[in-house]
Amino acid sequence: MADEALASTGVTLRPAGAQDAVAGVRPRWVALPESTEEVAALLRVAAERDLAVVPVGGGTKLDWGPPPERCDLLVDLCCLSEVVEHVAGDLVLRVQAGITLETLRDRLAIAGQELALDVPVPGTTVGGLLATALAGPRRFRYGTARDLLIGITVVLADGTVARSGGKVVKNVAGYDLGKLFTGSYGTLGVITEANFRLHPLPPERRWVTAEYGTDVRRGRELRREFPVDPGPLLQELAASQAEPTAIELDWADSGDVYTLSVLVEGAAAEERAEAVRAIMTGAELGDKPPAWWGRLPEHVTLAEIRVPPGVAGQAVREVAGADLPGRRLRGSAGAGVFHLGLRDGAGVTGIRARLAPLGGRVTVLAGPDGGADRWGPIGALGLMRRVKERFDPDRRMSPGRFAGGI
Amino acid sequence: MIATLAQRLKAVLPDQAVITDPVRLRTYECDGLTYHRATPGVVVLPESAEEIAAVVRLCQEFQVPFVARGSGTGLSGGALPRSDGVLIVTSRMRRILDIDLPNRRAVVEPGVTNLAITEAVRDAGYYYAPDPSSQQICSIGGNVAENSGGAHCLKYGFTVNHVLALELVTPDGDIVELTELDDGYDLLGAFIGSEGTLGIATKITVRLSRAPETVTTLLAAFATIEGGGTAVSSIIGAGIVPAAIEMMDALAIEAAEAAVRCEYPAGAGAVLIVELDGPTAEVARQFAAVERICREAGSFEIRVAASAEERAAIWRGRKSAFAAVGRISPAYIVQDGVVPRTALPEVLAGIDRLQEEFGIRVANVFHAGDGNLHPLVLFDDAEPGQGERAETVSGRILDLCIEHGGSITGEHGVGVDKSRYMPRMFTDDDLATMQLVRCAFDPGYLSNPGKIFPTPRLCGEVPRVRKGPHPHEAELF
Amino acid sequence: MDAELIKDCVHCGFCLPTCPTYVLWGEEMDSPRGRIHLMDQHVQGTPLTPEMAGHFDACLGCMACVTACPSGVRYDRLIELTRAEVEREHVRQPQERAIRGIVFALFPYPRRLRLLKLPIRLGSRMKTFLTRVHPSLGAMAELTPPPARRVRLPRRVAARGPHRATVGLLTGCVQGEFFPGVNTATARVLAMEGCDVVIPKDQGCCGALSLHSGYDGRKFAKRVIAAFERAGVDTVVVNAAGCGAAMKEYAELLADEPEWAARAAAFKVRDLAEFLVELGPVAKRHPLELTVAYHDACHLAHAQGVRAQPRELLRGIPGLSIREVAESSICCGSAGTYNLFQPEPARELGDRKAARVRDTGADLLVSANPGCTLQITAAMRRAGEQPIPVAHTAQVLDASLLGRRVVA
Ligand SMILES: Cc1cc2nc3c(=O)[nH]c(=O)nc-3n(C[C@H](O)[C@H](O)[C@H](O)COP(=O)(O)OP(=O)(O)OC[C@H]3O[C@@H](n4cnc5c(N)ncnc54)[C@H](O)[C@@H]3O)c2cc1C
Ligand code: SF4
Ligand code: SF4
Repeated sequence: MADEALASTGVTLRPAGAQDAVAGVRPRWVALPESTEEVAALLRVAAERDLAVVPVGGGTKLDWGPPPERCDLLVDLCCLSEVVEHVAGDLVLRVQAGITLETLRDRLAIAGQELALDVPVPGTTVGGLLATALAGPRRFRYGTARDLLIGITVVLADGTVARSGGKVVKNVAGYDLGKLFTGSYGTLGVITEANFRLHPLPPERRWVTAEYGTDVRRGRELRREFPVDPGPLLQELAASQAEPTAIELDWADSGDVYTLSVLVEGAAAEERAEAVRAIMTGAELGDKPPAWWGRLPEHVTLAEIRVPPGVAGQAVREVAGADLPGRRLRGSAGAGVFHLGLRDGAGVTGIRARLAPLGGRVTVLAGPDGGADRWGPIGALGLMRRVKERFDPDRRMSPGRFAGGI
Repeated sequence: MIATLAQRLKAVLPDQAVITDPVRLRTYECDGLTYHRATPGVVVLPESAEEIAAVVRLCQEFQVPFVARGSGTGLSGGALPRSDGVLIVTSRMRRILDIDLPNRRAVVEPGVTNLAITEAVRDAGYYYAPDPSSQQICSIGGNVAENSGGAHCLKYGFTVNHVLALELVTPDGDIVELTELDDGYDLLGAFIGSEGTLGIATKITVRLSRAPETVTTLLAAFATIEGGGTAVSSIIGAGIVPAAIEMMDALAIEAAEAAVRCEYPAGAGAVLIVELDGPTAEVARQFAAVERICREAGSFEIRVAASAEERAAIWRGRKSAFAAVGRISPAYIVQDGVVPRTALPEVLAGIDRLQEEFGIRVANVFHAGDGNLHPLVLFDDAEPGQGERAETVSGRILDLCIEHGGSITGEHGVGVDKSRYMPRMFTDDDLATMQLVRCAFDPGYLSNPGKIFPTPRLCGEVPRVRKGPHPHEAELF
Repeated sequence: MDAELIKDCVHCGFCLPTCPTYVLWGEEMDSPRGRIHLMDQHVQGTPLTPEMAGHFDACLGCMACVTACPSGVRYDRLIELTRAEVEREHVRQPQERAIRGIVFALFPYPRRLRLLKLPIRLGSRMKTFLTRVHPSLGAMAELTPPPARRVRLPRRVAARGPHRATVGLLTGCVQGEFFPGVNTATARVLAMEGCDVVIPKDQGCCGALSLHSGYDGRKFAKRVIAAFERAGVDTVVVNAAGCGAAMKEYAELLADEPEWAARAAAFKVRDLAEFLVELGPVAKRHPLELTVAYHDACHLAHAQGVRAQPRELLRGIPGLSIREVAESSICCGSAGTYNLFQPEPARELGDRKAARVRDTGADLLVSANPGCTLQITAAMRRAGEQPIPVAHTAQVLDASLLGRRVVA
């Protein structure tokens, strides 16, 4: 019996409940391993019994993405949440995948350091962050998880434990499996540990925030347009030698203003923030972010928009021009990555068509897709399929959770 | 067979792009690591992705291995040719296809040199951040293959952090584009650093960075390497991330002095080059701290570059260090190990012990900020036995790095030279898993075979998708 | 050939991007590293094949690789030795031999050159025809400068103002014949800076052309040495880059004859700009409102390492601004006799250089080598445009010291 086989691993096991559903598909068991070896033991049993496995971290994004084709065992990594090694002098960190970014932040702050990644969804774990490749405002300066990841431990579908990278910042020995697993949505294996390079906590942080009007009055009629192209301003901010860390935009459909907020951090942040303020008319300078900073917009359907940074302004105008009642646009205008909160998936196809000529992509991260292809065309899908076939030939790891049925 | 293949190659490439003359072929027998040599079966000099794809397809047809080569400056024998194969050289693909400042990126062919990109955008106030010491000649294709770094990678990261998209010819001969905009597996990231074993990059989109407002370069001389090491730790401990922290020991200084008359302070047992860049206000504060730290750590002379020329003068010694060692030793091995920064003192002491034990001199040049050591193991190949002893010392240094939780290569790649050390750093399972990636891209094992991995493994057929019993049936067993 | 010199090369490739033939063709065997590798093959017993010889012949001898090399590889020596070997061992095609014969029978001999000025000039009208016969003949015709009035220089020019030095002046054969204005300007500048200038009559050719092509240049060298010894000077100032580079190597060239080597070593050979900067300026500079592009002649910049001095001199002229030419370290393709023997690549390089010079938007092109300026203006003419006016550094200085306009 699969039950017994799983139980024989000694890993804490419980029957799954409704709250454990993965995008609506309810697994049969939930396992709570506490080490990489336990994950490996579970996956070996799963391989013998042909059980489909979905790894889960904080469970914050289980309702994201398409439902798995099948799901027997949920591997909950909540108990794999140790800091394995933190050598402050080396600015490197090794953690288990189930640790939440909030916990980590508090731990590292004691040493005056941080993992320079933002937490877009409270409760996100390191593993979940890697698997979904989600990033927040500071991607503009620091890049995303893949840029700070220096080593990884994974368990493959057959229970093989593999590591790549290491605990040094600079290392080009062998293939970088860490890269491969970022954005893998649990379809290649289970990430159990990750090593990161850290940064010193910036001594100061300042936000420069301004609102810009969007509506124009034409006679008596109030018409929603987007007369101000934020493009030139964004360009100027991005090229500013004050070196902002993040350039964020927030704009609700209902409001007639959009907000731009720029983060400057590090030594002499105040002076540099002043330089930024000189570029942004009517901006205010403060040491607190706006309330929406680094949070995903409220949504039923959540889409991610990615455009080359030079056309971020145009992309905003395209969104403005689309008929998307109740939408909210927010994101890293400096990097060209936005999140779009929608009432439903109906507008996705339209907005994708509008952004395609700009070289942009639109992906439905969560919620109903309104009949659109969630991922849109992916040029390298063929190669990704081949990778999947090699790593998980029996299609047991989160089958169907990623594009093209991967 | 190679002769027949050469004939067929001439049908898809212009005549002068296919080299078969033995004397000419031999000039391609090695890259920057001259220790390993093999005369390629044929050399081709294609000028487009389509031509490369055609060559690769012919290699598939003949089941003949192919090796990519950029400028041949690699230091791990990555571009070592195969005498039974085709060497595909990108040195004629050196057009900058597009410079797109609003999007902060440039699109280039693989043979474009690293420095050429910066030169093309410098006047506009931009640059391409990764700066290997070989930047005036190494190709971007080679940088992508090796995930090259440079002195400034401490703050700005490596090639992988600055490449936004790639067009590549897969080992099947297909032309595929990988971009950072794509969802899913980060194949772009996985390809970078794969040393030509996953295909050939034919078009590369790189990020252009805004030139910093201020750059300040400081050279601090110490009586001993320990003094320099203390300064490095204190700088990092103070929460400063300089653009670069480089260190050279006495022997390396001597070589640089002989080569480029860099005029570093006399009597220095070590020099530290610290470069800070960024907003003027930020740099000013950090600079004051760094200067104080260096003095406290015992620096007896500190020089600050007041102009671009003076900065270049400070860097000249460092950037020429490898080649300059040729002036003080008939032959040498450039090592490239990494250790956690805090382990540097122990590892350097270990290297000292090895020097004594084997009677071999080692000059040390390193990226002190990230613990990337470049010990230059000096020997005289005319002296019997010295070469072997140098090899031993070189290998022991890698062992030291592994022991301290480091890596056998920080930027030069594994290539053919270090493949045998891979099992010391990785388990069989780790290597087998990496091999899965190889098999996904290159099941026929024709793309730069024999590099990175110690023993070739056959990929086998893709296991047939097993239609497992329905989950509910599974319970019956 | 010297196996030890070859071993100095560590195969790092730093020299590749400055090598004009590598820039053109992107092939290893036409790069310095590749050529050294070919030399190595030969030293180790591979016979000198026509392919090998072709790659050595294609080398411009611009010495950019010497400047670029951090390991101090003496490529200059290596290629000289190799060329001599090529001349000894390699049998050239008859047509090629004929062309080389003409050039080496002509250029090192001022008097023969003088006689030929007219026919060559005529030849330039027949350029298309000549090109068809042999590209080298076409190149020769295209590059021949317009006939200049011969200027007879006095044997001695006395210093103006307080005497600061006595120097000999090498007049050079091509320089003397085709650009006599440069020599007069040089003599004047030196005099105005307080030098007695001695100009021996029977100095002849310095031997640079032969030397840089693998022919024996020793008899030329000895003649020059003797001439300046008779003139009683210990410093010889040279204004032609190629000649200066050759003269600075006399002692090495004559190493087998210690007595001559010692006599050669007794001279201080200085490029004009190098000498003037060492001497320091005293004469008043009058303003010249000019934007000039300074072109680094290989034999000055690479062979002699004189890059900063000419720029410093030019910068010392009020009103004058200097523009740098992109890819300044890459040869224009003139390189002594190169444009005669390897006309196609020479032309490509000339076109490339002309484009870079044009991009500077300067009013005047300044260089210390007549061959370069000829080459660059010929390229501009080919492109159907008005060539940029050219001048030697000496002429620009002369104009400033005299307070006149520049006449090239
Ligand atoms: C003096 C000196 C200093 C150096 N300093 C540094 C340094 O500071 N930092 C550093 O990181 N490296 C350094 N290097 C090493 C070397 O310059 C780099 O590894 C460089 O990236 C190699 O580029 P290349 O064009 O010469 O590649 P090659 O040597 O020709 O090839 C290197 C590898 O890349 C593969 N390859 C080449 N082109 C492609 C392509 N288009 N697609 C796929 N694969 C390809 C080859 O197969 C081979 O495996 C130095 C080398 C020298 C000689
Ligand atoms: S002398 Fe000039 S042409 Fe000849 S190899 Fe050196 S750089 Fe190339
Ligand atoms: S730069 Fe010098 S050492 Fe390097 S390849 Fe060229 S000649 Fe050889």
